[in-house]
Amino acid sequence: MITAWISTVVRLALSVVWAWAGLAKVSDPEAAAQAVRVYRILPEALVKPIGYGMPFLEIALALLLLVGLGTRIAAIVSCVLLVVYIGAIASVWARGISIDCGCFGGGGAVAASQTAYWQEILRDCGFLVLAGWLVWRPKSRLSLDGWLAG
Amino acid sequence: MSQKNDDGKRSARARMLEERAKQDAKARKVRQLSAIGVALAVIVVAVVVGILIQNNRSSSYDAAKDAPAGAVGTNNLLIPVGASNAPSTLTVYEDPRCPACESFETTMKSTVNQLLSQGKIQVQYHIVSFIDRHDGGKGSKNGANALACAQNAGHFHNYHDVLYANQPQETDDAWADKSVLIGLAKQVPGLDTPDFESCVNDNRFGNWVTAVQADFDKSGFTSTPTVLLNGTPAYPTYNNEQISPANLVKWVDAANKGKQPASIPPASAAALASPTAHNNPAPSPSGS
Repeated sequence: MITAWISTVVRLALSVVWAWAGLAKVSDPEAAAQAVRVYRILPEALVKPIGYGMPFLEIALALLLLVGLGTRIAAIVSCVLLVVYIGAIASVWARGISIDCGCFGGGGAVAASQTAYWQEILRDCGFLVLAGWLVWRPKSRLSLDGWLAG
Repeated sequence: MSQKNDDGKRSARARMLEERAKQDAKARKVRQLSAIGVALAVIVVAVVVGILIQNNRSSSYDAAKDAPAGAVGTNNLLIPVGASNAPSTLTVYEDPRCPACESFETTMKSTVNQLLSQGKIQVQYHIVSFIDRHDGGKGSKNGANALACAQNAGHFHNYHDVLYANQPQETDDAWADKSVLIGLAKQVPGLDTPDFESCVNDNRFGNWVTAVQADFDKSGFTSTPTVLLNGTPAYPTYNNEQISPANLVKWVDAANKGKQPASIPPASAAALASPTAHNNPAPSPSGS
């Protein structure tokens, strides 16, 4: 089954993406909160919990995908999260705010010439394709799911 | 497919196989559902634990204990320079690593110091530290903490001017090395004491630095230098005029119309006018 091997590669690739995104944000909670704040979408009361929790959600997804446990549900959550991210970036773009998405750490206000919304959205769409594939074909090699299914 | 008039044995076997297939399917379903359950549990637990961990890690700032001596303003987040009864206030947000702040200082420093010595303004500094996030590194936070240490020792103004005069390139995180900051303190007579060194090395005002930055995060200002004259933005322009030494003097004089400048004793005025005038690397016991 070639698709099972494709799914394996996709699963591990998406795992690396989430791990990278999560670990980059985990070291500086204040910076992560600020990265959320500058989107000017959430009220102040939610900025900190989201900024603090987001990296851990991403790391949890990375771990689940790495070991291949609950691949389909992890992929579904990944899709939802990526759609939210794409929507948030598009909303900032539409409102004419200049920020760095803070997708892989950093974030905050930047000069208008420094924005990269196209690239950020395209990149997230690429990740969305990976996650979508896994929703469609979650069966993969080297996975706990496969081991459980016997 | 079992048929009524089939051989009983075979139908029993077929039934058994069917039963087993059903059992297997059920077991698989249970396993699948528990995998989903475990996956969701992992996600929820990770997020909840994560939020708790980060809440613990984000410093709880106590203005009374964590601010350097002489800090003013809400929660003691501001460092004042000059007479508190001066008629105008210049608010300055600066990051120690910010190159635009360095050019602002280079162009405006002597004018600002002159206005300070004349008692026309008080400067209130917000020492922010967000460049570390954008460029990676520790120089902003280390520099901000060292400035707080200097404030605590009564040498902020002098050390502030020394730091900007010796600022590394933005891409060079030279101040990640605290000994460089301590080395620069040797230029300020009376600043380089064992207490100052331990203050810099132990990041004594780290919580205050974080609180100042968090306050800037929420302020709505997004870049440094941000300069306000009596609350009105004055950088790069003030009422559509470009900032310059001559214009700043003009703006301050206009704002102070009909008000008395603060009276400042000559010795303090001289120190405000050129805080680094008497700097030399030779250690002198005089602490002023």
